[in-house]
Amino acid sequence: MLLFTAGCATSMNSVENAQATGHRKMVSDKRVITDAGLYDRVSVVGINTATGPAGFLKIQVEVLNTTSSLRKFTYRVEWFDADGMLINLPTTTATPRALEGGEAGMITATAPTDKAKDFKIKFLESLN
Amino acid sequence: MKTNSTSTFFVISAVAGSFLLSGCGTPAGYVDPNSSRLVTTVGQINIQDFSSAADAMVASLIDNLINPGQLKSGSPGEPALMAISRITNDTGQQFDTDLLVKKIRVNLLRTGKVQITTTVGLNAAEDPLAAKLQVETGTKTRLPDYTLSGKIIQVRANAGSLSQSSFVFQLSLTSHGGIAVWEEEKTITKQGSKSSVGF
Repeated sequence: MLLFTAGCATSMNSVENAQATGHRKMVSDKRVITDAGLYDRVSVVGINTATGPAGFLKIQVEVLNTTSSLRKFTYRVEWFDADGMLINLPTTTATPRALEGGEAGMITATAPTDKAKDFKIKFLESLN
Repeated sequence: MKTNSTSTFFVISAVAGSFLLSGCGTPAGYVDPNSSRLVTTVGQINIQDFSSAADAMVASLIDNLINPGQLKSGSPGEPALMAISRITNDTGQQFDTDLLVKKIRVNLLRTGKVQITTTVGLNAAEDPLAAKLQVETGTKTRLPDYTLSGKIIQVRANAGSLSQSSFVFQLSLTSHGGIAVWEEEKTITKQGSKSSVGF
């Protein structure tokens, strides 16, 4: 029984360029944690941003599954204009994501308009 | 007497049981369409799938065409004009492709870089009154700079009691020169046991 259950846990190895040429512009973030369990299992490593020539903001969030088994969660990105007002869109929806044990993944999102200057990302543990 | 009291007992038990069962059901209520608590079925495209696919398509358009400044307008100083061409539903489900296309249109309009024509369409004008007014006022119809076309395909797989459906959303943006200047494909895959399959 122990052998069977031990075989169900999966984790991921990775390899990358030791001297990375891409330089990420990291931003400091403010975290509001109400689900400590989710935060322990799927933690946010960092956030970097970039702005294209046409002025659209793009964000990239690195998340890490700190456990040794598959974790599912959903995330939703909200965009705000220069006045801090929410930009409403019909496609704002919770996006499902899964990370294998030990896997670090990137969540990317592009602002819907060049007027978007700020963002908020909400994470929720998957219900199924 | 004994038979009567036994029958009475069974009747009372049945009535009490029906009250208990009806009290266990989920009452109807409203759900935020953007939440993660929506019903997910394996064999059908759900409303959140259309939102997810549309969001991915627009993000790709912005990343690859709009943000790099490669979206061109035939009228200098004005946003590029786009018309909707054929969007084919190649799945086993009947639905209106506008569930996808309208979300894309709304998002593209919000970018401020793209406008959509409602008087130039594949078969007929989407807004016949606007088309009629154009003719009556002698307003010159601006031809679209780009047309949006695509297809939605379903791929099914079964393994034992596990059922899987992949919905592949394919879109192309074609210039009036007939060249696809942008293409994207987004796949949404869902799995579930046979009992959760939404057929």
